[in-house]
Amino acid sequence: MEAVLFYALAAVTLISGVFVVFLRRPIHNVLFMILTMIGLACLFILLHAEFLAMVQIIVYAGAIMVLFLFVIMLLNLDEFVMPPEHRRVRYGIGIVLAMMLVVFLIPTSRSIISSPTAQVVATDSATLTNTEIIARELFTTYLLPFEIASILLLAAIVGTVIIGKRSTK
Amino acid sequence: MLDSYLPVLVILLVSIFIGSAIIVLSTILGKRFPTAIKLMPYECGMDPIGGARRRFSVKFFIIGMLFIVFDIELIFLFPWAKIYDKLMFFGFVEMLLFVVILLAGLIYVWKKGALQWE
Amino acid sequence: MVDVQHYLVVSAALFCLGVIGVMFRRNLIVILMSLELMLNAVNLSFVAISRYLGSIEGQIFVLFVMVVAAAEVAVGLAIAVAIFRQKGTINVNEINIMKW
Repeated sequence: MEAVLFYALAAVTLISGVFVVFLRRPIHNVLFMILTMIGLACLFILLHAEFLAMVQIIVYAGAIMVLFLFVIMLLNLDEFVMPPEHRRVRYGIGIVLAMMLVVFLIPTSRSIISSPTAQVVATDSATLTNTEIIARELFTTYLLPFEIASILLLAAIVGTVIIGKRSTK
Repeated sequence: MLDSYLPVLVILLVSIFIGSAIIVLSTILGKRFPTAIKLMPYECGMDPIGGARRRFSVKFFIIGMLFIVFDIELIFLFPWAKIYDKLMFFGFVEMLLFVVILLAGLIYVWKKGALQWE
Repeated sequence: MVDVQHYLVVSAALFCLGVIGVMFRRNLIVILMSLELMLNAVNLSFVAISRYLGSIEGQIFVLFVMVVAAAEVAVGLAIAVAIFRQKGTINVNEINIMKW
């Protein structure tokens, strides 16, 4: 059951990932990106990371993709036609990338074959939920990164307002 | 563990079924007498002004960006609220620091006039 | 039971898709989207390995990656909008003032 779900979700995620990269109209890219995000969220649930699955849907599918859609409508990009890339360059890049893909994939797929002992260990203890475990670690061990994250967000606010306001004038 | 998601699956299937049933049935059974006025885009009953593909104002973008940042803040507030009774005062202080830093950002945006709709 | 390596393969494939998008496409918005795809691929392998090792650290890292991604998207799209206002294009071949 879990294997079936995994393969179905992986197929959905990867196929919509292909569409994200290769479709020509930006609106379609964004819509397939949302599908990829939802597929990844379901994979997170399969990995017993419920909190992250919900965060994935709220932050990525809910907020970040909406911002992408805003920008596409803001710039009216849907009617903005890109000139096609130069053909020889395209083939060269394609070959290099196929090589890279192989370099990435072969070690991992080899480890599938050579590690029959690899076992999935359960993270969830019986009493605590996933969210509580994350919260306990986040607010004790990872206190400093948490506070620094707020400074990063502050920098993002300031940067966006400065860049965005200037472009309205 | 995955069994607890069965109700989610059921509600997903039911909503997909109801949604597609409404569309399919109304396409099959409904009678259509299209006129020019009926085919016009609906805009609160008025005649539409301009095309639907106009450019949006950049103000929407600044609001959307602020929404993302405070959405992230919410993501951190939720697990904090979940274990607040165990962290007590320590947790209160650290979250206060976090919120105050983001509040400084909000005040900056406010003073800068980015929330003004003009 | 699905092995952790299966998740890693999905993650690697997704990451390569993101790389292809960044190198192949000329649309700035799509390039930003491909960057998101790469970040998400890394997130997936973080979560998979966190489950495999039975520790929660990977999931906390993912949370921080999401914060960084949100900040990056906000500023990156602001820059894209500013560039479009100034030059009337978001084709990265034509945005070459910083290139020498």
